[in-house]
Amino acid sequence: MNILLFLIFFVIILAGGIYAGFARDPYAKLIGIGLIGGGVMPLIIARGYVDVATALAVIIPLSTIFVLQLCRKGAV
Amino acid sequence: MSPEFYIGLLLMVIGTWACAFPRDREYLTRLINLEIPAFGLLLVALSFDETLALLTFIAVSTLTTFVLVLLIERKVAA
Repeated sequence: MNILLFLIFFVIILAGGIYAGFARDPYAKLIGIGLIGGGVMPLIIARGYVDVATALAVIIPLSTIFVLQLCRKGAV
Repeated sequence: MSPEFYIGLLLMVIGTWACAFPRDREYLTRLINLEIPAFGLLLVALSFDETLALLTFIAVSTLTTFVLVLLIERKVAA
């Protein structure tokens, strides 16, 4: 795979990880998690695991919905 | 080792640090931070080309999140 693409995906993943780790607002954290997912997905597809990427595309939003359920109730 | 392995390890270190020492000590913050090392472990499993491990880990990670959400709801309600 092109080294430039690797670098771009790594920057996306690192930006998402650091942002999700340091943000205080739970919604901002969820956006950071989504950013990590956006960087991880092309790496999985580049390895040829399109089936895993399909499962991940279904399961990552599911996990976000569970956490949103907790955010909505203000349970902190 | 492939580049995915190293970026996965880096993500695991960042996520574990953020989960162990969050900026505001709340259950919700820790729960969301717990997803960062999960993605790191996913990348490490990806670097070893284990399809079944990847799928199982993704499913179990979501299930764990669901159980923890239920637990935090009960803890806050009590």
